[in-house]
Amino acid sequence: MGEIVLKDVHKAFGDVSVLRDIDLEIADGEFVVFVGPSGCGKSTLLRMITGLETVTSGHVLIDGKDVTHTKPSSRGLAMVFQSYALFPHISVRDNIGFGLRIAGLPLAEIADKVAKASAILGLDALLDRKPRELSGGQQQRVAIGRAIVREPAAFLFDEPLSNLDAALRVQMRIELVRLHERLATTMIYVTHDQVEAMTMADRIVVLEGGDVQQFATPIELYDRPVNKFVAGFIGSPKMNFLGADATADGKVQVRNGPLLSISDLDTARVTGPLTVGIRPEHITYSHDTGDLKGTIVVEEQLGSDAFLYVEVEKIGMITVRAVGERNFHSHQTVYLTLPPQRCHVFDQADLRINMN
Amino acid sequence: MNRETKALPLVAAVFITFIFTAPIIWMVMAAFKTVVDIYAVPPVWVPDFTYLENFKVLLSDNWPFLLNSLIVTVGATVLSLALALPAAFGLVYFQFRSQNFLADWILSTRMMPPIAAAVPLYMVFNGFGMLDTIPALIIVYAGFNLPFAIWVAMSFFRNIPREIIEAARVEGCSWVQTFRLVALPLAKSGIATVATFVFIFAWNELLLALFLTTREARTFPVVISSFSTVTRTYWELISAATIIQILPPVIFTIIMQRHIVSGLTMGAVKH
Repeated sequence: MGEIVLKDVHKAFGDVSVLRDIDLEIADGEFVVFVGPSGCGKSTLLRMITGLETVTSGHVLIDGKDVTHTKPSSRGLAMVFQSYALFPHISVRDNIGFGLRIAGLPLAEIADKVAKASAILGLDALLDRKPRELSGGQQQRVAIGRAIVREPAAFLFDEPLSNLDAALRVQMRIELVRLHERLATTMIYVTHDQVEAMTMADRIVVLEGGDVQQFATPIELYDRPVNKFVAGFIGSPKMNFLGADATADGKVQVRNGPLLSISDLDTARVTGPLTVGIRPEHITYSHDTGDLKGTIVVEEQLGSDAFLYVEVEKIGMITVRAVGERNFHSHQTVYLTLPPQRCHVFDQADLRINMN
Repeated sequence: MNRETKALPLVAAVFITFIFTAPIIWMVMAAFKTVVDIYAVPPVWVPDFTYLENFKVLLSDNWPFLLNSLIVTVGATVLSLALALPAAFGLVYFQFRSQNFLADWILSTRMMPPIAAAVPLYMVFNGFGMLDTIPALIIVYAGFNLPFAIWVAMSFFRNIPREIIEAARVEGCSWVQTFRLVALPLAKSGIATVATFVFIFAWNELLLALFLTTREARTFPVVISSFSTVTRTYWELISAATIIQILPPVIFTIIMQRHIVSGLTMGAVKH
């Protein structure tokens, strides 16, 4: 079991408040990712769940039991650190079996469990080596092995893939997802990489400036970000934001741009200055006709996609993601159209005012 | 560089090394000379190295004091490690109010010259009836080395990546287990460094030993100093004793050297 509940958790270092009003309910078996920019408090939040960091106020519950003041060793959690934090002086075998030895399990049982874990992770040939003799990816596996043998209530990962190269990162991402399916244990995963968050999570907690911005499924975050921060943070390339104003008849006038008639807005809130957000992949583009005329400043051609950075006069830079496009190049003129049903509208407080 | 300028630094190095080692060389030669040869003019340059009379005389009378030295030194080293390592671990990893103040305060006790403590220590041990006892010396030597030992050990513990200690905690270790199973093995070179310095201090200490011992608990340096009397200086015995005196630290340092070198340069470069 591994249901984790945070109730009104606050954290301050001295006078500096780093996390405020954190209320989260993470269901047993769920894969939850904490994502946010550096310094948003995501690692601190994870460390409070493990008990490595004290909670200033509020409560942490694991399976209904209040563990706010329980020491890390008694919480029954396993953690995989960014640096792996393997014990350098003992073999891979002893690293994996470390927690079991501390728990006082019989040696035969430890050997059995270590063998099973190493088989799952493909570490059989490396068991007698020291951690420093392993590659980064192998060390990562050992760290995961050390976590899984203990059959913890939940696994906590603190940016575990950030020290790996890109190819290995993708591979480990898939392995972790499969591991989660296989073990069906609660996993909490901290990352600043929104691709990792989107691809792995059942639900994502987006943190910024010490506040939970949104806690939802990846698709929910993409389709219905609650505010401008989430809208800009989730999605790559980043969502485009254009200044706009509400018109008297409830439409949205993009400054120096088109008048948008968006059907799903909360009409009461269509007032004053607004921000229109549109994802690069939702903008339509053409050589000869459209709402906005601009010049392609940079073309990034990936083969599968072309990212066009378009300078539009009096509006600024707009990013367009053109799937499979090969016919638009730097210095060309391009016409862009913003499909109204794809536009997100944010009020002055940066809150999204679309109804769905 | 041509051959001459290449040779120059070497010649200089040999010369400087000679200046520094000359007293030791002179002493080694004196240890194997008779009293007459020691005072002979012109000097006897190469003594008869099979002449061991000086050592025999010295050890037959004074071997218990050599043993005292050994017990005091090993005792002080063990005691200061036993106290300093847990203290340093706690100062590094436990969070409590005035943590840094405590660490600075420990170091500040080292700012006082040892001689300033000699009279108070004499009175205290006199009060406890511990003058001229080995435990008294062990306590004093361990005590004098504690600030230094704690500070060096702290720097070693600080160099252990924090995440490794945290991993041990999450894996279920109590603080004692974390200390014993993770921190100590990783601070091995630190322990060797601290042990070597304490060992050398305790083995060579003379001043406090002169104050606190009279007969039974005398250490070897005290004995050596006693060979220089108002009436006569026994150079042959001083020389022989000094050779014996410098041997253990040399051997100990050679054994520990690998660790000490990695210890003293630790953290100097990124691994």
